[in-house]
Amino acid sequence: MAKLTVKDGGLFTTIQDIGRVGYRKYGIPVSGVMDVYSYKKANYLVGNAENDPVLECTLKGGKYQFDSDAVIALTGAVMNPSIEGSKIEMNTSVLIKKGETLDLGFAEKGCRCYLAIRGEWVIDRILGSCSTFVIGKFGGLKGSELKEEDVIVWKNKKNSFEGRVLEKTEIPYFSSKITVEFVPGPEWDMLTDHLKKQFLTTSFKVSSKSNRMGIRLETNDPLIIKMSDMKSSGTIPGIIQLPPNGLPIILMKDGQTIGGYPRIGKILEVHLSRLAQLPPNGSVKFKKVRF
Amino acid sequence: MESELLRLNGILWSVFRMAERSWLLRPQVAENALTHIQNTVLRLEEVEIPLLEDTVPAYDSLLLTFGSKDINLQKILQSIKESNDNTRRNFKSHEIKICYDLGLDWNEVENKTNLSKEEIISIHTSTQYSIAMFGFLPGFMFLEGLDQRIWVPRKDNPRTKVDSGSVGIGGEQTGIYSLESPGGWQIIGRTPDQFFDINNKTPTNFTAGDIITFRKISSKEFESLEKNNG
Repeated sequence: MAKLTVKDGGLFTTIQDIGRVGYRKYGIPVSGVMDVYSYKKANYLVGNAENDPVLECTLKGGKYQFDSDAVIALTGAVMNPSIEGSKIEMNTSVLIKKGETLDLGFAEKGCRCYLAIRGEWVIDRILGSCSTFVIGKFGGLKGSELKEEDVIVWKNKKNSFEGRVLEKTEIPYFSSKITVEFVPGPEWDMLTDHLKKQFLTTSFKVSSKSNRMGIRLETNDPLIIKMSDMKSSGTIPGIIQLPPNGLPIILMKDGQTIGGYPRIGKILEVHLSRLAQLPPNGSVKFKKVRF
Repeated sequence: MESELLRLNGILWSVFRMAERSWLLRPQVAENALTHIQNTVLRLEEVEIPLLEDTVPAYDSLLLTFGSKDINLQKILQSIKESNDNTRRNFKSHEIKICYDLGLDWNEVENKTNLSKEEIISIHTSTQYSIAMFGFLPGFMFLEGLDQRIWVPRKDNPRTKVDSGSVGIGGEQTGIYSLESPGGWQIIGRTPDQFFDINNKTPTNFTAGDIITFRKISSKEFESLEKNNG
């Protein structure tokens, strides 16, 4: 068995895969990686299966000491990763030697970086997934974000591997100012025409309170709507909720399964990966589209 | 809103496409919406609809999510043969033990209801509840049927940590926190029973629609039962 030891878990690093699908009726969110695009590329670069687990690192990546040789790859948020002090490239497979320490540094662009390690990770699957759901305290390693001295174990693959690199065109540019497309949600018409217009023209700021449950947005001019009695109803990742304080929340992978706030829209799935890469203080505008 | 009407399980539903792969259905009935929703979830599970990934039943809506966006919902729902039986299905009954002495908010609950703890307990234990739904968090059970005399608004400042097994009152509902989590409901007791296990493929044998009653136990009983749970 090969392994690594966590020397510093960074700001918030969790084990994630594509998530646990089909359990929302029990109140269990899908979890899984926030940026599906970068995640799949990371596994591709090390020759793993598309839905194998990876580390999802947020803003500050942490330090990992490898106790075995390994093929690794980093995708997503642009960090400044190094091995034993020597800078390494992202978006390519990299060989790390036994005893060496990988330091991921900080995100310069984007918010979430993915670390894939070639091999079959030894992680218990909860309801079919390795994904960590910190609020529910399950999945990943003991349901928690990575902490110093945590150990990740994997079985090496037998076959040889040549290494891979992403084409330039496959590497997204992580802007901190983005526009995402949404379709109107079931409660869109609870907004007055004036508020609809305001929603479509405002550049919202990403709050530092954002997390895997939801991206919280801020604006100087909150969108206060008259709340009529609304019964709690189903939600999914990408739903834009509008609570009474007028500050929208975009539900993400760990988001609650039902909610009682108006669902004014749903972000198109193809835009969720870009949204996941918006750092705190980044800004987002909304463009209304139809199916 | 741009919704259409479809027939399913004997009644009409308004259908709203909420996402690429998700449709929100609302029963067009004057009463018993919840029963129709719960019956329909059972029916959908019985007939095993291909590509149906997730169902989220709630009070007046049912969210269906599929594994593909290229599906014809109308065709799929039409293919479900209507069951003639639209009476309430046979849901299970469960008795849940509760230790009211472990309640945390008795002062507030007594003040807001103008009833004594004993009166409130007597009302709470003599009522039959039904599970309305699970959510917002894993295993959290929303129960319907709380006696109007003991409706109490949620706390102004939600707790950051509510113990697993806590039983709370939130407005006109009562509910059970299966896992430790944050929460804003008035906590009136705690159950040592465990009905949610994330390590099982079916994490709970409780289903929305099941009947719940509470039986009062002492703190001593609670402690010994909790010890047995390990």
